[in-house]
Amino acid sequence: MRRKLGRLAAVLGCLSLGSLVLTACAGGQVRHGVGGPNTVSFALPPSATPNWILPLPIPGYTASYNGVIQSALFVPLYAYDGSSGEVGMDQRASAAEPPVYAPDGKSVTITLKPLTWSDGMPMTTKDVQFWLDMVRAAKDDWGAYSKGLMPDNVTGFHIVDDHTFTLTMDKTYNPGWFTANQLTLITPLPQHAWAKDPDPRKAFDYLVGQAKQLGAYNTNPLWKVVNGPFALDSFSSSQITLAKNPRYTGPDAAHLDKVTFLTFTSSAAEYNVLLAGGVDYGYVPTTNLGQKGKLESLGYRVEPWNGWSITYIPYNFNNPALGKAFEQLYLRQAIQHAVDQKAISQVIWRGTATPGYGPVPQNNDPTFLSDVQKNNPYPFDLNASKKLLADHGWRPGPDGVQECQDANACGVAKGTRLSMTLLTESGSDETDGTMQELKSELSKAGIELRINAQPLNTVLANGTTCEPSSPACAWQLSYFGTQGSWYFPAYPSGEQLFATDAGVNFGNYRDKPTDDLITASTLSTSSQSMVDYSARLAEQLPVIWMPNPPYQVSAIDSALGGVTQDPMAGLQIQRWYRTR
Amino acid sequence: MTRFLARRLLLALIVVFLVTVVTFVILHLLPGGPARGVLGVKATQAQIDAFNASQGFDQPIPVQYWDYLVRLLHGDLGASYTENTDVSTLLAQRLPKTLLLTVTSTLLGIVVALPLGVWQATRRGRAFDVVTTGLAFVLYATPVFFLSLVLIILFAQVLPIFPAQAAQGDTLAALLSQPASLVLPVLAGTGVTAVAYSRYMRSSTVDNLAEDYVRTARAKGTPERTILWRHVWPNSLTSVVSMIGYSVPVVFSGSLVVETMFNYPGVGLLFWNAARNADFPVLLGVVLVIAVTTVLGSLLADVVQLLIDPRVRVPGAKS
Repeated sequence: MRRKLGRLAAVLGCLSLGSLVLTACAGGQVRHGVGGPNTVSFALPPSATPNWILPLPIPGYTASYNGVIQSALFVPLYAYDGSSGEVGMDQRASAAEPPVYAPDGKSVTITLKPLTWSDGMPMTTKDVQFWLDMVRAAKDDWGAYSKGLMPDNVTGFHIVDDHTFTLTMDKTYNPGWFTANQLTLITPLPQHAWAKDPDPRKAFDYLVGQAKQLGAYNTNPLWKVVNGPFALDSFSSSQITLAKNPRYTGPDAAHLDKVTFLTFTSSAAEYNVLLAGGVDYGYVPTTNLGQKGKLESLGYRVEPWNGWSITYIPYNFNNPALGKAFEQLYLRQAIQHAVDQKAISQVIWRGTATPGYGPVPQNNDPTFLSDVQKNNPYPFDLNASKKLLADHGWRPGPDGVQECQDANACGVAKGTRLSMTLLTESGSDETDGTMQELKSELSKAGIELRINAQPLNTVLANGTTCEPSSPACAWQLSYFGTQGSWYFPAYPSGEQLFATDAGVNFGNYRDKPTDDLITASTLSTSSQSMVDYSARLAEQLPVIWMPNPPYQVSAIDSALGGVTQDPMAGLQIQRWYRTR
Repeated sequence: MTRFLARRLLLALIVVFLVTVVTFVILHLLPGGPARGVLGVKATQAQIDAFNASQGFDQPIPVQYWDYLVRLLHGDLGASYTENTDVSTLLAQRLPKTLLLTVTSTLLGIVVALPLGVWQATRRGRAFDVVTTGLAFVLYATPVFFLSLVLIILFAQVLPIFPAQAAQGDTLAALLSQPASLVLPVLAGTGVTAVAYSRYMRSSTVDNLAEDYVRTARAKGTPERTILWRHVWPNSLTSVVSMIGYSVPVVFSGSLVVETMFNYPGVGLLFWNAARNADFPVLLGVVLVIAVTTVLGSLLADVVQLLIDPRVRVPGAKS
């Protein structure tokens, strides 16, 4: 009996070993990435699954990784790039020559490059008109729509010839702003192949309906007609492969045969695959940055990828309990003085985050960065924080929390306590650490911070614009900046963030001089209004300015050339090449 | 037998119904709803209102549940907010892959665990039993994510024998096209199930070896091998078979971790992404599948026990 069981165990052991060896022979991997020699694999962010191929996004499908794939297939009218340290037009990646504005600034003439669709038809002005007609007909369902902006601000479209057209605007705009933040929204679409209905609304609905069928992306003839350096090779929910477009006629042809975008369940899964050499261009979770040397020994170079972004904690100025207190500039200054941005950036983010002191990205193109913002008007200084509160009638109560003793000096009712709740996103060690550090420093200044960590969706759903009388206005502070709170288009103006009643002005901040500066920044040809805007909001503190985390810390195969980490999250994969 | 099955099926339906009620209500009571998360920070209030109306979130929860139930009874599980695909299509793509992982792991676990448990029981207290029991406890106490990590480090990074992630693709064929990529996920799943089952099998065999009928058989001169395989083995199996049936939710939750660690494109990954994105239709669909599978698993366990253990079929018999 024992002998038989022993034999059984031996057989099982041999089978296991044999299967291990056989499968190892069948599919081991030693080089970086997956696929052939002139291919590259790129790791998408955790849980990110590209889900929209149509370069005309609807709400919910505007993720940057969708945009990367779309711009490789369909050349945008104008592309911008900030990887050189200066955000400017990327002419090679644009479908048109630089725009020519009329002297009165109320119209712009644009000439298309001689690009060709992959079915052999030339790209013409009709392809731009097709885009504009659909966006006009379905603007409320278009993901990039903001009232008063594109397409509302374009009053006329005039075709000069097959390659030249003129747009007329409703008023004179700052050409820099209009090109960077409005014309970049336009992507010529193959009207001859996609206009299945002469009614633009029906054409839009048709294309949206087709784009919703992910399972048909591989076979749908619509998506075969492209004018970009790449074409869709295969699409699944876990892997997307783009192949070089042999019919591309522009100046920015692809060097690689294929680029594969890989999806990952978590950053830990991605990191494991990275260490095993399964990815050419991946990312390193911040908690693993201590292993930088190991990655370098495996043939990766590790580089932070800074975003064209800012990170902040909005105050809810409409909160019934503390809205009045938040309106006091001295209180906002006292709170900002208690934020140790350098420590948070260096210790918690391991040197990958950048302190931010105002509404313009701090560590990229300095064109719009004021000296006030650059020099941090409210450095970490707990004594300054305490003094500001003491000078304005606040005294610590028995539990150490500041309490207003003089309504006139405080600007709020006597007895008001500086005890506030911060709704913050859960699931990130760095954010947890940041919030604990903030709580600790604020408590030293006598400000009690209660932290309420919730999933990101809950934070976004609850920390939003509200009326003071509404129960939805119970939130006081909110944080959704683990990957940066706000990514800008090329021109970092604040019309969506800090203008009165702006869509993403979650805290209901109102300031007439700020509104005027924002308006000027979109209309004036001078960049001074942007610099003044940077200075004003660095001083006025409409939010708590926080360190700005990187878009990601990248690990790039050292044999992969042509990679530029664009702060605007563009990839320009056509310029990548293998050095060996 | 028929009455027993009918009663158990009715009970199963009630359980599944209650699971859908509880899951639906809990999800829909979450503050804020999914609109902002799905549509992003730039979405306007009008767009959020339109989304809520299109999904029926502006209706009272009982009305929403009734609509859900009606659609469910017509085979419509809804559509994912983020994947642009019907939930039923997503499940049809992912479920075979998860079943491949869980069934293979469970079968391998059984193949290893049952003989091992018997072997340990027959050598109770000896060196082999002590060593394997110690190893089993270590493995039993090891979280599956840690075991997965150890396997990845050992066999994908230190010794680059196997890929650290499963093959990608929407079809089962894509997954099977790279069998090497299945080895580590299957091993991780097997490790967890094998240890648990072997402990049960050992205990069950030890108990049976101490029963009167074994002493009687020995007194009658029945060979030890016959006692073990003809009498003790079937009696010991009954409790393990029940356990396999009841462990479906454990196996599924284990596969969620394994899928996350090995980037395995199954139901666990689908569930994980849906939870992160507040994708209610997918969450409800996956929970429904797990509930049905769990109920079927326990039903199957009862039926198998009924078939292999005569004591269950005889009213008043000691079971």
